[in-house]
Amino acid sequence: MSEAQPILRLDEATIKFGGLTAVNKVSFELNRGDIFGLIGPNGAGKTTCFNLITGVYKPTSGEIYFQGQPIGGLAPNKIATRGICRTFQNIRLFSALSSVENVMIGAHLRHRVPLVGALLLAPNSVAETKALQERSMHLLELVNLADYANHRSADMSYGKQRRLEIARALATDPELILLDEPAAGMNPQEKEELLYTVRRIRDELNKTVLVIEHDMRFVMGLCERIVVLDHGEEIAQGPPDAIRNNPKVIEAYLGEPA
Amino acid sequence: MKSFWPVRLASIVGVVALCFALDRAVLAAAPAQYRLLILASLFVILAVSLNLINGITGQFSIGHAAFAMIGAYTAGTLSKNPAFASMPHPQLLAVMTLLGALVAATFGFIVGLPSLRLRGDYLAIVTLGFGEIIRIVTNATESLGGSYGMPVAPKVQFLWWSLLLMVACIALCRNLLKTTHGLTFLAVREDEVAGLAMGVNVTMTKVVAFVIGAAFAGAAGAVLAHTEAFISPRTFPMEMSFIILTMVVLGGTGSITGSALAAVVLFAIPEYLRTLTDAQGKAYEMNAGLFMGILVAIMIAVAASKWIQTNVHEKGKKLGFYAGAWLAVIPLGFLFQTILHLSPTLKTLAFGIDILRYAVFAVVLIALMLLRPQGIFGHHEIGWHWFRKRPVPATEGGAA
Repeated sequence: MSEAQPILRLDEATIKFGGLTAVNKVSFELNRGDIFGLIGPNGAGKTTCFNLITGVYKPTSGEIYFQGQPIGGLAPNKIATRGICRTFQNIRLFSALSSVENVMIGAHLRHRVPLVGALLLAPNSVAETKALQERSMHLLELVNLADYANHRSADMSYGKQRRLEIARALATDPELILLDEPAAGMNPQEKEELLYTVRRIRDELNKTVLVIEHDMRFVMGLCERIVVLDHGEEIAQGPPDAIRNNPKVIEAYLGEPA
Repeated sequence: MKSFWPVRLASIVGVVALCFALDRAVLAAAPAQYRLLILASLFVILAVSLNLINGITGQFSIGHAAFAMIGAYTAGTLSKNPAFASMPHPQLLAVMTLLGALVAATFGFIVGLPSLRLRGDYLAIVTLGFGEIIRIVTNATESLGGSYGMPVAPKVQFLWWSLLLMVACIALCRNLLKTTHGLTFLAVREDEVAGLAMGVNVTMTKVVAFVIGAAFAGAAGAVLAHTEAFISPRTFPMEMSFIILTMVVLGGTGSITGSALAAVVLFAIPEYLRTLTDAQGKAYEMNAGLFMGILVAIMIAVAASKWIQTNVHEKGKKLGFYAGAWLAVIPLGFLFQTILHLSPTLKTLAFGIDILRYAVFAVVLIALMLLRPQGIFGHHEIGWHWFRKRPVPATEGGAA
């Protein structure tokens, strides 16, 4: 694969729900190793965009390419297998399970234990499970949750749950990880730590990151490039400084000048 | 992993030996209970296999008796075939169990593939309908004996076989939960959308759970057919599905040991009530007024317990309140009886005490849903870790 090829490319991706066009002809490209921001006011279509990329919705028109292959309309589990994983805006953990079990479910994707082996508890299934458990513990360490490995995920604080979601997504060993408002509900110190964690994910684990976030300081400090959506349309794209001073973006957030 | 095979072989040999020993012991000590114990172990299989579908994978299926029925009729029909009929009894039973499981699994696959796209209530309706269709179709099929039923020959009663089957069913479910493969079943129960995003093939997982569950129900049905030597659509009424479901809910959805324990208890209660007869072998009668009085008193105690649960927080006080509420059932029951006996009909009306089992199920379910909706054991398993301090994840444990 050539270096120049973008890892993810949205080509005029559009989705309509009845009369409402939630995402209208949005196009952007992510290169390998980017930390890319997706921002916009409430209802701009950011999460819908994530849902299109991860296969929850099928685009009405346009196409999405991942590593050069069209993925629009594939089942979500197929897309996860291709190497895109996500976190959810409204946290969706497996709440009755412990942290480490949550991460292990993510990890199973790359190391499936065959059903018959699992039913008979064959030695290799046990070994595989042990290995995945260890791998999952490492990921929990990465997000500073190692001490909470055996805690029920539903009983943890909001910030910890968000970090656990990131660990779980990383466990699927994705090329591209989508973070949907990872800093929501975190205090300033937790946000600072998250900033550091996301950078580590890119630098040490060599992942590409696409992040939706409302906290402007966080986004501007983290992302190298940003695309801005408003009412389902793309209104700006570029590095943080250009976005910050873009009159269209200011207008979208603050309204028209009086 | 070096010690794997010796340990595994030893545990298998141990289990088989134990099953045979139990079989002999029951034959020697309590031959009258032999058949009942077979039926009890079959209900454990039914409950544990439904727990795989309902509790572990979270799919609300309420037609489990239909799979047992399919297994039973498969065994009943095929054992007439001379090729099978000439087999020695143990082999015959083993082959019939396997065939019953296979046919039930096939039905499970055919029904599961389209209907498992549905969720919650909708799936419940489909499985309920499927159960009824199987029963009614059998009822109307002359070649299967119709509503008269079908004698099954030979009559084969082997406690050791049903015990082995039960152990196998419990062991397979438990093994599954010890690996990451089992975790994907739990993922489907907890959150399908998140499961999909983690690459879990949700539909496939549900179908696999459904097929395994159906297979075990079919196996249990086949054994049941040979144990009773007679099957009819009335052997598998709609209540049977609900009783199995009650066992799963009572034990705690997702808890294998809980389902197994609840199955034994809920099987034993009606059987015990049936043995309460006078010298002539007639069931004891119970006065309707007294029955209703006690029922109302129990409901009041349940309501009081619910209030205590939410409003009293000191441990000692709480226990005292509970004790008071439940002790009050007896005087309250007689008080209500006195009031109800003002009606001459209720004073004279009486019924056999074995009918009480329906009331027992109903009361137990109501009390449970109000006081402990997660079931007696919740998602937990009963085991050695209860005696350890730290909570243990489902995936910890040895290879035995």
